[in-house]
Amino acid sequence: MAKLESPDADPRRASEGAAHRAGLVGLARETSLRNRLIARDEQALVELVDLATPWLLGVAQAMLHDHDESEDVVMEAFRAVWENITPVAADHAGLMPYLLRVTRHRSIDRLRRRQHRERKHSAAVLEWNRQAVPPAELNEAGHPGWQVHAQVHAALEQLPAEQQMVVQLAYFEGLTRSEIAGRLGIPLGTVKTRLRIAFTRLRTTLAGLKEWVL
Amino acid sequence: MRSHDWFIEHRTDYAAGVLERDDSATFDAHLRNCDECRAEIRRIEAELGWLPMALAPVAPQPGFRRRIIQQVLERPDSRARRWRLPAGLAASLLLAGGAWWAGSQGTRELQTQLVQQETRLAALQDTLAIMHRASRVMQASLETAGRRGGLVIFADEVTHRWNVVVHGLPPAPPGRRYQFWFIRADGMVRGAEIRLGQPGPVMFTTGMPKTGGTVIGAALTIEPLAATDGPPQGPELAHLML
Repeated sequence: MAKLESPDADPRRASEGAAHRAGLVGLARETSLRNRLIARDEQALVELVDLATPWLLGVAQAMLHDHDESEDVVMEAFRAVWENITPVAADHAGLMPYLLRVTRHRSIDRLRRRQHRERKHSAAVLEWNRQAVPPAELNEAGHPGWQVHAQVHAALEQLPAEQQMVVQLAYFEGLTRSEIAGRLGIPLGTVKTRLRIAFTRLRTTLAGLKEWVL
Repeated sequence: MRSHDWFIEHRTDYAAGVLERDDSATFDAHLRNCDECRAEIRRIEAELGWLPMALAPVAPQPGFRRRIIQQVLERPDSRARRWRLPAGLAASLLLAGGAWWAGSQGTRELQTQLVQQETRLAALQDTLAIMHRASRVMQASLETAGRRGGLVIFADEVTHRWNVVVHGLPPAPPGRRYQFWFIRADGMVRGAEIRLGQPGPVMFTTGMPKTGGTVIGAALTIEPLAATDGPPQGPELAHLML
């Protein structure tokens, strides 16, 4: 990924200052935004859409390779957060992880509904976008969330290639473990082991992001 | 019948969605009765929640943000249709001019600016539409810290949305903030927080609370920053009844 020459890849270096430079917001603003959404403050929805849309579109398009379907999925994600927003105490995840999760789940649902058609091979695009350039480039330095993107990307890059592959097939293509074994032509036990090790490492690394919201 | 150890071992697989369908259904059933696993799954989901951020962002097409907001709020799109042609024409002219003048880099910057301006324009149109349709306007004077201001509500009773304007207030005292409230027969419901960062009036658009009875009024208070739930704790600055 050519655009990430000098990210703050080490989560320990991800200071609050870096978060603010990247346009991220702290827990206080997340709480405020959440409360305003609960209060049906439409400006809060505008703010959330402004911040999150490029990232959600990135996920949906990388998974679905279909512009219209990707927009539909992103719409559904925002509708879900607007309809189901709850007070902070009732939900462990921040707004952004929630939106990302809904986007990914809805994309997987659509991928599974496509089973009668040949799935487009997305490995090249989903190689954590090593070569991919977004269709319309964003101003990376000033774009909210870019620091988080750099860190998550670095966390994946630290995994061995065979673990990256199974995570990619499982997490972004929605394949089950036996489907992954069939796709890669390796024993099911090997898939299970690789996934377990990879997700354990990722959980450890990504847990450092839990204080970062949006 | 699976042992609890099996569920412990497969929590991460379940949270990541890689279990076979049968196993996943078994896990679903187990979660209905196991608080410990439910809490752990939520924790794992929170930890893995950022993983999709590994994928690069994609700039939305012009107008997409506006369509999201319109569709989420389930509003008719008549104004959007009316503006689509001129907006599209303006976009084309701007983009063509940008490409001629500054090449592809300039075009991308113009696209970004166009999206931002279009979003602002849509918000402004929406605000004006509510004011234009308002069937009721309510106003209250208020005074705090030696300054006089006001609270004005434009109520659109067709779409049940309000434009609320607060003016003349100083920044909230340290550790406090202004809070807008809906008044219902069964009590007060927290509305938008009002942030006065810059001089001048603050305006926001709000729908009615999702649940509960009919709104019969509105109020403005100064609340401690830490008070994010429950009834008002601070002094009331304005009180309006429909």
